[in-house]
Amino acid sequence: MEPLGLLTICVSALISVFLLLSLLALVMRLILALFPVPVQVTDSAIVAAIVSAAQRLYPGTTVTKVEEVK
Amino acid sequence: MDTAIKLLEHSGFAGLQWSNWVMFAVAGILIYLAVKKNFEPLLLIPIGFGTLLANLPLAEMDAHGNGIIALIYDAGVKTELLPPIVFLGIGALIDFRPLLGRPITFLLGAAAQLGIIVAALCAAYILGFTPKEAASIGIIGGADGPTSIFLASQLAPHLLGPIAVAAYSYMALVPIIQPPILRMLTTHKERAIDMPQAKPVSKTAVLLFPIVCGIIASLGVPSSAPLIGMLMFGNLLREVTATERLRRTAGGALVDIVSMFLGLVVGATMDGASFLRPQTLMILVLGAVAFSFSTAGGILFAKLLNLFLPEGKRVNPCIGAAGVSAVPMAARVVQQFVSKETEGRVNPLMPAMGPNVAGVIGSAVAAGVFLTLLL
Repeated sequence: MEPLGLLTICVSALISVFLLLSLLALVMRLILALFPVPVQVTDSAIVAAIVSAAQRLYPGTTVTKVEEVK
Repeated sequence: MDTAIKLLEHSGFAGLQWSNWVMFAVAGILIYLAVKKNFEPLLLIPIGFGTLLANLPLAEMDAHGNGIIALIYDAGVKTELLPPIVFLGIGALIDFRPLLGRPITFLLGAAAQLGIIVAALCAAYILGFTPKEAASIGIIGGADGPTSIFLASQLAPHLLGPIAVAAYSYMALVPIIQPPILRMLTTHKERAIDMPQAKPVSKTAVLLFPIVCGIIASLGVPSSAPLIGMLMFGNLLREVTATERLRRTAGGALVDIVSMFLGLVVGATMDGASFLRPQTLMILVLGAVAFSFSTAGGILFAKLLNLFLPEGKRVNPCIGAAGVSAVPMAARVVQQFVSKETEGRVNPLMPAMGPNVAGVIGSAVAAGVFLTLLL
């Protein structure tokens, strides 16, 4: 094979790598959008802190629900 | 007395030539670098010792003879078996989350394959290597030992030894090769770009990645399937909690055993006659060219991306250098360089891991294309 052939092969290799990795990037973006990290409503440490604070202020209180409003 | 002389005449001592002594010195240098300088010891020790064994006259311990090393070479390297098994282990060790959290860094891993192309073209146009040899030499720029061995064993088995030694040696030299290039191609302002945290990645996405990547890459470039298929299989073992035992074996004992034999047989290809040629020196020089251009390709592409990205979403161009694979050393080198340049204010280790692991996929794809078009 002539060196010109190798040039074509090298350019093909670089283009293939770019195309394939771009496609993977796009597909993964889609997958990330379809399967996002489930939003944790309230951090357990925050719940514990709220329960502790409420019981200090109002002894005997039971906290049954903590809701985050943004 | 006659018996003793006859025995001596038929011993390996009588058969020693100057080339064997030179190769003993080469083996000694490899072992010294591994032991004293900690340069890729897990590979350079087996390669160094394999070189010693290959240069013992009459011992039949070279890769092309009739001994046990030749048996391993024929069954493990010629058949393409061992490099994909190393990839299985690598897959079990790699965390792809930094890449998935920033999908744009896939492109930096692609750009950092530039050195493969430049070195291959230099090898063919300037130094007169055949296209198959040139492609095998160029793949050193992928900074991936198993990929280099995988490709060279198919396209240029007679150059396998020097190519593997160059690939692993330059991987160990990343901390020396990359910082000057990083300094030359980036400004202080660019080095100080502090990238925000990557998006969190769900467990489902992490589990889907090896499956999707394995399918897409293997369909796109089927010749890369042995490498990428096994890499992704290993990664799936890592991410599925129930396969913890398999992950531990793949990423531990299995990859160690295979690396040991792979290193030994690669070293055993380096007999004096095939290694002590001007081509070896050329391959070492081309390896440096490949690494340098791959580093530069990643950095320059990151700078190009920044022209289109809005303020606040720009990438630190230094992380492009990590796209040369050499996981995780290249990412660490980038982090240490940036941290030093910014007096500890910016530490882009996780952002650099993205292109770093993308580079592993990129170099395997490039090797697959070469195999498809040249074999």
